[in-house]
Amino acid sequence: MKASYLGAMGYSQRNTFPATWPIPPIYHDPETSVRSYQEGIEECEFAEEMGFEWISFSEHHYSGRIATGVPSVMAAAVAERCKKAKIAMLGHLLPLNNPVRTAEELGLLDNLTNGRLIMGFLRGTPNEDQVYSVNPAEGRGRMLEGMDLILKALTEPQPFSWEGRYYNFRTVSVWPRPVQQPLPPVIVATRNDDTVQYAAEHRLGLGVSFLPVEQMAGITDKYRNWCSESGWDPQPDQVLYRGSIYLAETDKQADDWFTNVKSARPAPAIPLRHTVAQAIQAARSGEEFDLRNVIAGSAQGDVAGAATGLSFIGGPDTVVSQMKAFQDQCGAGVVDLFFQQPSLDHRGVMKEIELFGREVLPRIKEF
Amino acid sequence: MAQASQQPPAAFQESHLELEGLRLRYMEASPPHPDGTVVMVDANIWGLSKLHHALAQKYRVVALELPAPAQIASRSVKDLAGIMNQAVTRLASEKYTLIGTSLGANVALWQTLQSPDQVEALVLISPTAILPSGGPAPTSPEEVAKRLFAHQEDLQEFSRDSGTVAGERGLVQRIMGTAHDGEAESKLGEIQCAALVVFGLQDKMVAPEAGGIFRENISNSNLSFVYDTGHIIVAERPEALIDAVSDFVERRETFVVGRQSSIINP
Repeated sequence: MKASYLGAMGYSQRNTFPATWPIPPIYHDPETSVRSYQEGIEECEFAEEMGFEWISFSEHHYSGRIATGVPSVMAAAVAERCKKAKIAMLGHLLPLNNPVRTAEELGLLDNLTNGRLIMGFLRGTPNEDQVYSVNPAEGRGRMLEGMDLILKALTEPQPFSWEGRYYNFRTVSVWPRPVQQPLPPVIVATRNDDTVQYAAEHRLGLGVSFLPVEQMAGITDKYRNWCSESGWDPQPDQVLYRGSIYLAETDKQADDWFTNVKSARPAPAIPLRHTVAQAIQAARSGEEFDLRNVIAGSAQGDVAGAATGLSFIGGPDTVVSQMKAFQDQCGAGVVDLFFQQPSLDHRGVMKEIELFGREVLPRIKEF
Repeated sequence: MAQASQQPPAAFQESHLELEGLRLRYMEASPPHPDGTVVMVDANIWGLSKLHHALAQKYRVVALELPAPAQIASRSVKDLAGIMNQAVTRLASEKYTLIGTSLGANVALWQTLQSPDQVEALVLISPTAILPSGGPAPTSPEEVAKRLFAHQEDLQEFSRDSGTVAGERGLVQRIMGTAHDGEAESKLGEIQCAALVVFGLQDKMVAPEAGGIFRENISNSNLSFVYDTGHIIVAERPEALIDAVSDFVERRETFVVGRQSSIINP
C-alpha cells in the first residue's frame, strides 16, 4: 500500500475560524497566509522525504481549511520542490470548471513534472455548487460530460469541435499533450453508481473519500464487478481511499487528543446554512425545494453537518490495522491522508509526518 | 440554430428516377426563397429526420435515398457515387452542399472526388469509409441496435418498426462487410471544398482514429464530436447535430468563430 500526502495548505490560524462556509475574507491576514503556504510546502517536502509516494491536491473554494481553490497552481509550486513524488490532482471539480481549460492545466502539469502527474476528477461537496453559480441539478451531467471531453482533449491527435449538452467548443487542440501516453493515470473520485460504472467502463481508477470501510467496500465491490464485465481488473494504485488521520505515539494519546477536540468545539464538516444545504441536496436529487415550507431555524440551525470521526486515529499499530482493513475489504492500494486537523499547528503536523514515516509507512508498504 | 428543429416539418415531395437499373427515390422541399441547395444522401431507414426538416426551412433540400442493401449488394461505393452524381445532375443545376450519413457519407465522399466542381461544401456524418469496425456483423435486433446507438433505451421518440429494424440490420451488415477504403483515404487530399466530418463520441461502427485521418488529410476540414451519441447521431441528439451542421452549411469553415452573446444583463 502507498501513502499520499494531501497538501491542504490550511491557513495556520484555521482554529479561529467560525464553523461556517464560506470563510469571510476578513479573517485573512496576508503575513499569516504567506507563512501558511510556506509551511504547507515544507510539509509536502518532508512527507516526500519520509517516504510518501504521492502528494495530492484538491480543489476547494472559499475556505482556509483546504486553501487550494486553484489546485494546479499549488501543484506546480510543490512539484518544483518535490522531485520524486507523484503529483496527484485529486482533483478538479468538474462541474465548476471549463473542461478544456482543465485539460490544458493537466497537460501542462504532466510536462512540468516530466510525467509524474496523476489526474483526478470529482464533483465536489454540496457547498462547492455555490461557487461560480452552478445549478446543482446539472452537476452530475456536467461531471460526466466533462470527463469525456477532457479525455478526448488529451488524446485526440487532431483539432476537433465538441457538441455537448453543457459544453460547445468549435476548436479544441490541447497543447501540450501529456508526457505519459496515452494518458496519465486517472482516478474518478465518487460514491455514485453511474460515475463508478463510468470509471470501470473507461478503465479508470476509483477514489472514495471519508467513508467507513464497510461503506467503501460496498462501492469497490460494484466497481470491481463492472471492471470485470468490461474485461479488466484494476491495479492496486487504481483504488484510492482519502481519509483524515490523527496519529499519536500511543492509542491513549490519540484518544485524549480527540476527546479534547470534541469538547472544544464541533467539527466543521461541511457547514452551510441548513436551508441552503437542503436546497442544494434537493436540486441534486431533482426535487423541488420551497423555502416557505421550512420553519426558520435557531442560530444553531445555521450550521449543518455534525462532527464526524476520523478515518484513521490511534497509535501506529492501530493505524496500520485500520489501513490494512481498507486494503483487505476494499482493495485500496493508496491512502491519501489529510493530516491538517483544525487544532494542529505546523509543528504538530510535521511531528505526525515523521512518526508516520518512521512507524507506519514501512509496515503498510509491506501489504 | 437549434430552434430550427422546433419549427413545423417542411413539406417534402416524393419522386423517383430510374438510373442504371436502379429505382432511386428522392424527396424534395424548399422555402419560397432558398439560400442555396443542399443534397443529402443516406439510407433513409428511419425516414426524413429533424435535420432534413431543419435545413429545408432555409435551403432547397434534395434527399436522395440509397436503394435497399439487397439491391446494391453488387455495387461498389464508387459505382453508387457515380449513379448519385447522375441523379444530382438531373435535379440540381447549381452548385450545392452535399451531406452524407453513414454509408451515404461514403457515397458522398466519392461523389465529391468524382465531381469536385459541383460540391461547394461537404458534410460527412458518421462516415465509415476509413477504418470501419470489422468482425462478424450482429444479426439480432438488440445487438444491431447496440452497434448503432449509444442509448437504445432512450429511443422512445424515434420510430423503429419491423421494417426499420430490418433496414438497420442490412446497414450494419453492409458496413461491417466493407473493408477500409484505402483508395478513398489516399484521395482525401484532393478535396478542396470546406468539409465537416461528424462522429458520435460513442460510435461503434468505426475506429476512434478515423476522424483524425479525415481532419489531417482534407486541408479545409473540421472534425466534430457529438457527445453521448452512437452512430446514428440524429436519433440520439438531433438538436446538437442540427446545431453543428446548420451552422456549418451557413458559415462553412468560419463556423468556428463564436457569435453567441454572453451578456446576461445589459
